[in-house]
Amino acid sequence: MLVGTTIYALINTAILALMAIGFNLTFGISGVANFAYGAFYVFAAYGIWGMLNLLHIPYLLAVLIAVLANLILGALIYRFVLLRVRGQALSEVIATFGIGLAILELFSYFGWVGFEYTLPVFMDRSFIIAGTYVDFQRLAILGFSAVLIACLWWFTHHTSIGLAFRGIAQDERTALTFGIDSDRIAMLSVSFGAGIAALAALFIIPLGSIAPGEGYDVLIKALAVCIIGGLGSTGGVIAASFIVGFAERFTDTYIGSHWTMIVSLAAILLVLTIKPSGLFGKQKELEERI
Amino acid sequence: MLEIENLMVFFENALALNGLSLGVRTGEIVGVIGSNSAGKTTLMNTISGLIIDMRIKEKRKGGERITIYGNITYDGEDITETPPSDRVKQGIVLSRERHPVFPESSVVENFKIAGYLRSKSEIQETMDFVFTLFPPLTKLKTRKAGFLSGGEQQMLAIGMALVVRPKLLLLDEPLLGLSPMMQKAVVDAIVSLNRETNITVLLSEQFARPVLPVVDRAYVVENGMLTLSGTGAELMDNPEIKAAYFGV
Repeated sequence: MLVGTTIYALINTAILALMAIGFNLTFGISGVANFAYGAFYVFAAYGIWGMLNLLHIPYLLAVLIAVLANLILGALIYRFVLLRVRGQALSEVIATFGIGLAILELFSYFGWVGFEYTLPVFMDRSFIIAGTYVDFQRLAILGFSAVLIACLWWFTHHTSIGLAFRGIAQDERTALTFGIDSDRIAMLSVSFGAGIAALAALFIIPLGSIAPGEGYDVLIKALAVCIIGGLGSTGGVIAASFIVGFAERFTDTYIGSHWTMIVSLAAILLVLTIKPSGLFGKQKELEERI
Repeated sequence: MLEIENLMVFFENALALNGLSLGVRTGEIVGVIGSNSAGKTTLMNTISGLIIDMRIKEKRKGGERITIYGNITYDGEDITETPPSDRVKQGIVLSRERHPVFPESSVVENFKIAGYLRSKSEIQETMDFVFTLFPPLTKLKTRKAGFLSGGEQQMLAIGMALVVRPKLLLLDEPLLGLSPMMQKAVVDAIVSLNRETNITVLLSEQFARPVLPVVDRAYVVENGMLTLSGTGAELMDNPEIKAAYFGV
């Protein structure tokens, strides 16, 4: 049971990291806490579902369109809404949360809720690992999380746009003196965050079903992981995903499933009491931001 | 190369620069000397275009109103309203005051971030040149910039501006907070980069003593206005300068 729980805790870690990494990317670079992140996730999920089931578009094409649509949606929201309120934390949160609410409640209005609203798994197979059944989808999530984090690391350390991301994250005005257009880079960061939300939906949604409530759920989990890890820190997201991921699974197995939420929240409280800026956080304004 | 005519800059109702005119010719080192709050940084931000960005951001926030009057001409082209990123592409590069570096990144990575507009081989080439210009940086390549001393950060900041391959290099108070020995090292480096690469330099400083002997010409700014100008040697002999800046 211990081995099995550990395997599922690892998978849970990967799911949490996948949910949080896009939110974290946007916040770390442009300082925008994108509260529409959960709505982006649900938007992409319904988008793919609609293209597959209503328009009968081939799977890969549908995925490609959905990711592109999210990238564009993120860029548009930055260009027409966030640009004007950037730097004013409260306005950013209200604006993005408002957009998120509008998108999610629109789907609620359509009444697209139920078990038929889900995305297909990649491969309908299970494997036995160390005596535990694990389905292919969960393994895919584990692999994809690792690959995505590695790709992001490479991107931010070895490409000029990625390095520009790190530049404006540290000092926007100085970055400007090197010809790095901060508004353009910040727009890309919101856009990339939205794109990653689409990919996260593609991998995670097949485990359950699509519902507007998922959007709030993803946002809360992303926030929890980012707050524990220290907003804007990728290392922090990984560490916090492990803490929450393992805490949730082990509580579920050894104490009882109704305790999972309490243990995760206790973990958040504990970390914030000991280190208010999060495990790896350097943002002194963290408390004011959220 | 650079011609500034009758430049006035207001922050809300406060006049930061008042009818300032100056010129910089290709290949020169020109100094702008002035005490604190004389308007040196505002002048540098206005030439580099940072002020255009500040004006946009303040306007979005409903903050301070920044107004710019006058003309800035660069290579015969009016750039008064050109955004900063375009000015960088045209070759005007500013190294801001208080040696700004990216503290979380290593020295080499700082160069890479600064080389946003340049190819990898160009960045490498300039980096090699910067390491010959500032030998102490060679040993610190992998050190985080935030852990460097003030002098080392200043060397890095100048090096980062060079990575952009400027035609006109603006240095805002490059000697601020440095020891006299470090000041000399930085001044020597500025002179040799001007000779070796033919980059035109406009630098602002409150320390006139180390700067005046090496500049071709200098302007003295007080309360946003030009009070004196001349060659470095002329200004050093000027009794007012002696009294105000050399404490004689």
